[in-house]
Amino acid sequence: MEVSEIMEKTGLKAINQFKDKEVEGVYISDMVSDIITGAKANSILITLQTHKSLIAAANLVDVAMIVFVKGKKPADDVVELATKAEIGLFTSDLDAWSFAKKLTELGLN
Amino acid sequence: MSACTHQWFMTNIRSGYLVVEGCFECGARSSFFSSEAVPPIDEYQDGKHFWIYMGSSQAVKFDLKCSRCGITVDLDDVNGLMLSTCEDPDCEVGKIVRQQSKGTWVYVALCANSTHAKGKCVSGQGIDALNQYFNQNIKAPDKKIIVVPCRLCNSIDKCRGIIIADVNLTDMYPDTSQGGRPRGKD
Repeated sequence: MEVSEIMEKTGLKAINQFKDKEVEGVYISDMVSDIITGAKANSILITLQTHKSLIAAANLVDVAMIVFVKGKKPADDVVELATKAEIGLFTSDLDAWSFAKKLTELGLN
Repeated sequence: MSACTHQWFMTNIRSGYLVVEGCFECGARSSFFSSEAVPPIDEYQDGKHFWIYMGSSQAVKFDLKCSRCGITVDLDDVNGLMLSTCEDPDCEVGKIVRQQSKGTWVYVALCANSTHAKGKCVSGQGIDALNQYFNQNIKAPDKKIIVVPCRLCNSIDKCRGIIIADVNLTDMYPDTSQGGRPRGKD
Protein backbone atom coordinates (compact mmCIF):
# COMPACT_ATOMS: atom_id res chain seq x y z
CA MET A 1 0.00 0.00 0.00
CA GLU A 2 1.34 3.43 -0.93
CA VAL A 3 1.71 6.51 1.25
CA SER A 4 -1.07 8.43 -0.54
CA GLU A 5 -3.52 5.55 -0.17
CA ILE A 6 -2.84 5.28 3.56
CA MET A 7 -3.32 9.03 3.91
CA GLU A 8 -6.65 8.85 2.14
CA LYS A 9 -7.96 5.78 3.96
CA THR A 10 -6.97 6.87 7.46
CA GLY A 11 -7.82 10.57 7.19
CA LEU A 12 -4.27 11.82 7.67
CA LYS A 13 -3.36 15.43 7.03
CA ALA A 14 -0.13 15.96 5.10
CA ILE A 15 2.35 18.41 6.63
CA ASN A 16 4.88 18.49 3.78
CA GLN A 17 5.30 17.58 0.14
CA PHE A 18 5.81 13.84 0.13
CA LYS A 19 7.05 11.26 -2.33
CA ASP A 20 4.69 8.36 -2.87
CA LYS A 21 6.26 5.01 -2.09
CA GLU A 22 5.27 1.54 -1.03
CA VAL A 23 4.89 1.15 2.74
CA GLU A 24 5.97 -2.19 4.15
CA GLY A 25 5.53 -2.04 7.92
CA VAL A 26 4.69 -0.06 11.03
CA TYR A 27 6.73 0.98 14.04
CA ILE A 28 5.60 2.94 17.09
CA SER A 29 8.19 4.75 19.21
CA ASP A 30 8.93 8.06 20.89
CA MET A 31 12.60 7.30 21.54
CA VAL A 32 15.09 8.13 18.78
CA SER A 33 17.63 5.57 19.99
CA ASP A 34 14.91 2.92 19.80
CA ILE A 35 13.95 3.92 16.27
CA ILE A 36 17.37 3.09 14.83
CA THR A 37 17.25 -0.39 16.33
CA GLY A 38 13.58 -1.11 15.62
CA ALA A 39 12.15 0.72 12.62
CA LYS A 40 12.63 -0.81 9.17
CA ALA A 41 13.06 0.72 5.74
CA ASN A 42 9.84 1.90 4.07
CA SER A 43 7.89 1.66 7.31
CA ILE A 44 5.43 4.09 8.90
CA LEU A 45 6.71 5.60 12.12
CA ILE A 46 3.96 6.55 14.57
CA THR A 47 5.10 8.94 17.27
CA LEU A 48 4.40 11.82 19.60
CA GLN A 49 7.97 13.03 19.29
CA THR A 50 8.49 16.16 17.16
CA HIS A 51 12.18 16.90 17.80
CA LYS A 52 14.62 17.26 14.90
CA SER A 53 16.56 14.23 16.17
CA LEU A 54 13.58 12.12 15.14
CA ILE A 55 14.18 12.98 11.46
CA ALA A 56 17.90 12.19 11.78
CA ALA A 57 16.98 8.74 13.13
CA ALA A 58 14.15 8.09 10.66
CA ASN A 59 16.34 9.08 7.72
CA LEU A 60 19.13 6.74 8.83
CA VAL A 61 16.83 3.72 8.69
CA ASP A 62 14.94 4.95 5.59
CA VAL A 63 11.48 5.34 7.10
CA ALA A 64 8.86 6.10 4.43
CA MET A 65 6.52 8.32 6.42
CA ILE A 66 6.01 9.69 9.92
CA VAL A 67 2.62 10.12 11.57
CA PHE A 68 2.43 12.50 14.51
CA VAL A 69 -0.52 11.45 16.61
CA LYS A 70 -2.83 13.48 18.89
CA GLY A 71 -2.65 16.40 16.47
CA LYS A 72 1.03 17.12 17.08
CA LYS A 73 2.92 19.18 14.52
CA PRO A 74 6.69 19.70 14.29
CA ALA A 75 8.51 23.04 13.91
CA ASP A 76 9.29 24.44 10.47
CA ASP A 77 12.96 23.42 10.50
CA VAL A 78 11.97 19.84 11.31
CA VAL A 79 9.56 19.84 8.36
CA GLU A 80 12.29 21.29 6.14
CA LEU A 81 14.75 18.54 7.06
CA ALA A 82 12.15 15.81 6.52
CA THR A 83 11.24 17.24 3.12
CA LYS A 84 14.92 17.26 2.12
CA ALA A 85 15.10 13.62 3.24
CA GLU A 86 11.93 12.84 1.25
CA ILE A 87 10.13 11.63 4.36
CA GLY A 88 6.42 12.38 4.31
CA LEU A 89 5.09 13.97 7.50
CA PHE A 90 1.47 13.60 8.53
CA THR A 91 -0.68 14.36 11.51
CA SER A 92 -3.62 12.51 13.00
CA ASP A 93 -5.95 13.57 15.79
CA LEU A 94 -6.08 9.97 17.01
CA ASP A 95 -3.81 8.52 19.70
CA ALA A 96 -1.13 6.00 18.72
CA TRP A 97 -3.22 2.94 19.59
CA SER A 98 -6.32 4.11 17.73
CA PHE A 99 -4.30 5.02 14.66
CA ALA A 100 -2.41 1.70 14.75
CA LYS A 101 -5.74 -0.14 14.84
CA LYS A 102 -6.75 1.67 11.64
CA LEU A 103 -3.57 0.43 9.98
CA THR A 104 -4.17 -3.18 11.01
CA GLU A 105 -7.69 -2.89 9.58
CA LEU A 106 -6.02 -1.95 6.30
CA GLY A 107 -3.83 -5.04 6.52
CA LEU A 108 -0.64 -3.29 7.60
CA ASN A 109 1.27 -4.64 10.57
CA MET B 1 40.43 -9.36 4.35
CA SER B 2 37.18 -11.32 4.37
CA ALA B 3 35.80 -12.53 1.03
CA CYS B 4 32.29 -12.46 2.48
CA THR B 5 29.77 -9.93 1.19
CA HIS B 6 28.42 -9.32 4.64
CA GLN B 7 24.73 -9.21 5.41
CA TRP B 8 24.60 -7.51 8.78
CA PHE B 9 21.96 -7.62 11.45
CA MET B 10 21.90 -6.02 14.88
CA THR B 11 22.80 -8.25 17.77
CA ASN B 12 23.45 -7.85 21.48
CA ILE B 13 21.03 -4.92 21.62
CA ARG B 14 21.10 -3.55 25.14
CA SER B 15 19.23 -0.67 26.72
CA GLY B 16 20.71 1.63 29.31
CA TYR B 17 21.91 5.16 29.82
CA LEU B 18 24.53 7.28 28.14
CA VAL B 19 26.20 9.09 31.03
CA VAL B 20 28.13 12.28 30.27
CA GLU B 21 30.87 13.48 32.61
CA GLY B 22 32.97 16.61 32.58
CA CYS B 23 36.31 17.44 34.17
CA PHE B 24 36.01 20.73 36.00
CA GLU B 25 39.79 21.16 35.92
CA CYS B 26 40.34 21.09 32.16
CA GLY B 27 36.82 21.12 30.69
CA ALA B 28 37.21 17.75 28.94
CA ARG B 29 34.10 15.67 28.38
CA SER B 30 33.73 11.96 28.52
CA SER B 31 30.83 9.56 28.26
CA PHE B 32 30.10 5.96 28.99
CA PHE B 33 27.24 3.53 28.62
CA SER B 34 25.63 2.15 31.76
CA SER B 35 23.19 -0.75 31.72
CA GLU B 36 22.36 -0.28 35.40
CA ALA B 37 18.76 0.50 36.33
CA VAL B 38 19.94 3.78 37.84
CA PRO B 39 22.99 5.27 36.12
CA PRO B 40 25.92 6.14 38.42
CA ILE B 41 26.43 9.79 39.31
CA ASP B 42 29.68 9.43 41.25
CA GLU B 43 32.35 12.11 41.23
CA TYR B 44 35.88 10.74 41.12
CA GLN B 45 39.48 11.53 40.29
CA ASP B 46 41.28 9.74 37.46
CA GLY B 47 44.85 10.98 36.99
CA LYS B 48 44.77 14.70 36.28
CA HIS B 49 41.00 14.70 35.68
CA PHE B 50 38.29 15.19 38.29
CA TRP B 51 35.13 13.90 36.68
CA ILE B 52 31.71 15.19 37.64
CA TYR B 53 28.33 13.94 36.45
CA MET B 54 26.79 16.20 33.80
CA GLY B 55 23.73 14.26 32.78
CA SER B 56 22.40 11.09 31.26
CA SER B 57 19.91 9.98 28.67
CA GLN B 58 18.34 6.68 27.74
CA ALA B 59 20.33 4.98 25.02
CA VAL B 60 20.69 1.74 23.12
CA LYS B 61 23.89 -0.09 22.22
CA PHE B 62 24.26 -2.83 19.65
CA ASP B 63 26.79 -4.90 17.75
CA LEU B 64 26.58 -6.10 14.17
CA LYS B 65 26.72 -9.74 13.12
CA CYS B 66 26.97 -11.13 9.60
CA SER B 67 24.33 -13.75 8.81
CA ARG B 68 26.56 -15.25 6.12
CA CYS B 69 29.98 -15.72 7.73
CA GLY B 70 29.00 -15.34 11.38
CA ILE B 71 31.54 -12.62 12.23
CA THR B 72 30.47 -10.14 14.92
CA VAL B 73 31.72 -6.57 15.00
CA ASP B 74 31.83 -5.12 18.50
CA LEU B 75 30.51 -1.56 18.51
CA ASP B 76 31.15 -0.91 22.16
CA ASP B 77 33.26 2.10 21.18
CA VAL B 78 30.26 3.78 19.51
CA ASN B 79 28.40 6.00 21.95
CA GLY B 80 26.09 7.62 19.46
CA LEU B 81 25.42 8.77 15.91
CA MET B 82 25.07 12.32 14.68
CA LEU B 83 23.67 13.62 11.39
CA SER B 84 26.24 16.12 10.17
CA THR B 85 25.13 19.49 8.88
CA CYS B 86 28.67 20.84 9.15
CA GLU B 87 29.56 24.07 7.36
CA ASP B 88 33.01 24.51 8.94
CA PRO B 89 35.50 24.99 6.06
CA ASP B 90 38.32 23.54 8.18
CA CYS B 91 36.47 20.41 9.25
CA GLU B 92 37.13 17.12 7.46
CA VAL B 93 33.55 16.01 8.04
CA GLY B 94 32.31 19.30 6.58
CA LYS B 95 34.42 18.69 3.48
CA ILE B 96 32.93 15.21 3.09
CA VAL B 97 29.41 16.65 3.50
CA ARG B 98 30.03 19.29 0.80
CA GLN B 99 31.35 16.67 -1.65
CA GLN B 100 28.12 14.66 -1.58
CA SER B 101 25.28 14.86 -4.05
CA LYS B 102 21.60 15.10 -3.13
CA GLY B 103 20.39 11.98 -1.35
CA THR B 104 23.66 11.23 0.41
CA TRP B 105 23.75 11.82 4.15
CA VAL B 106 26.80 11.90 6.38
CA TYR B 107 26.53 10.57 9.93
CA VAL B 108 29.31 10.82 12.51
CA ALA B 109 29.91 7.86 14.82
CA LEU B 110 30.68 9.33 18.24
CA CYS B 111 33.20 7.70 20.55
CA ALA B 112 33.41 8.15 24.31
CA ASN B 113 35.99 10.93 24.49
CA SER B 114 35.46 13.91 22.22
CA THR B 115 38.99 15.22 22.88
CA HIS B 116 40.58 12.00 21.54
CA ALA B 117 43.36 12.70 24.04
CA LYS B 118 44.27 9.00 24.19
CA GLY B 119 44.21 8.67 20.41
CA LYS B 120 41.22 6.34 20.47
CA CYS B 121 38.09 6.61 18.36
CA VAL B 122 35.59 4.28 16.72
CA SER B 123 37.43 1.38 15.02
CA GLY B 124 37.81 1.19 11.25
CA GLN B 125 36.10 -2.20 11.30
CA GLY B 126 33.17 -0.68 13.16
CA ILE B 127 32.88 2.20 10.68
CA ASP B 128 32.96 -0.22 7.73
CA ALA B 129 30.27 -2.42 9.29
CA LEU B 130 28.02 0.55 10.10
CA ASN B 131 28.32 1.82 6.52
CA GLN B 132 27.46 -1.57 5.11
CA TYR B 133 24.61 -2.16 7.58
CA PHE B 134 22.74 1.09 7.06
CA ASN B 135 23.19 1.06 3.27
CA GLN B 136 22.17 -2.58 2.83
CA ASN B 137 18.76 -1.76 4.30
CA ILE B 138 17.99 1.36 2.27
CA LYS B 139 15.27 0.94 -0.34
CA ALA B 140 15.23 4.43 -1.83
CA PRO B 141 17.19 4.17 -5.11
CA ASP B 142 19.18 7.40 -4.89
CA LYS B 143 19.87 7.39 -1.19
CA LYS B 144 23.18 6.67 0.50
CA ILE B 145 24.46 6.85 4.07
CA ILE B 146 28.11 7.61 4.85
CA VAL B 147 29.29 6.97 8.41
CA VAL B 148 32.56 8.58 9.48
CA PRO B 149 34.44 8.49 12.81
CA CYS B 150 34.25 11.54 15.08
CA ARG B 151 38.06 11.96 15.05
CA LEU B 152 37.51 13.67 11.66
CA CYS B 153 35.41 16.37 13.35
CA ASN B 154 37.13 19.67 14.08
CA SER B 155 35.24 19.95 17.33
CA ILE B 156 32.37 17.72 18.37
CA ASP B 157 31.40 20.17 21.08
CA LYS B 158 30.98 23.01 18.55
CA CYS B 159 29.63 20.88 15.72
CA ARG B 160 26.32 21.85 14.10
CA GLY B 161 25.04 18.31 13.99
CA ILE B 162 21.87 16.55 15.06
CA ILE B 163 22.71 13.88 17.61
CA ILE B 164 20.44 10.86 17.72
CA ALA B 165 20.02 10.79 21.46
CA ASP B 166 17.09 10.77 23.81
CA VAL B 167 18.09 13.87 25.68
CA ASN B 168 16.17 17.13 25.96
CA LEU B 169 13.69 15.97 23.35
CA THR B 170 10.87 17.83 25.00
CA ASP B 171 12.75 21.12 25.18
CA MET B 172 12.31 24.08 22.90
CA TYR B 173 15.50 24.93 21.06
CA PRO B 174 16.65 28.35 19.89
CA ASP B 175 16.77 29.55 16.31
CA THR B 176 20.43 29.50 15.19
CA SER B 177 19.74 31.92 12.36
CA GLN B 178 19.73 34.56 15.10
CA GLY B 179 23.06 33.37 16.49
CA GLY B 180 21.74 30.92 19.05
CA ARG B 181 23.07 27.47 19.83
CA PRO B 182 22.87 24.81 17.15
CA ARG B 183 19.47 23.22 16.81
CA GLY B 184 19.07 19.62 17.82
CA LYS B 185 22.47 19.55 19.55
CA ASP B 186 21.12 20.18 23.04
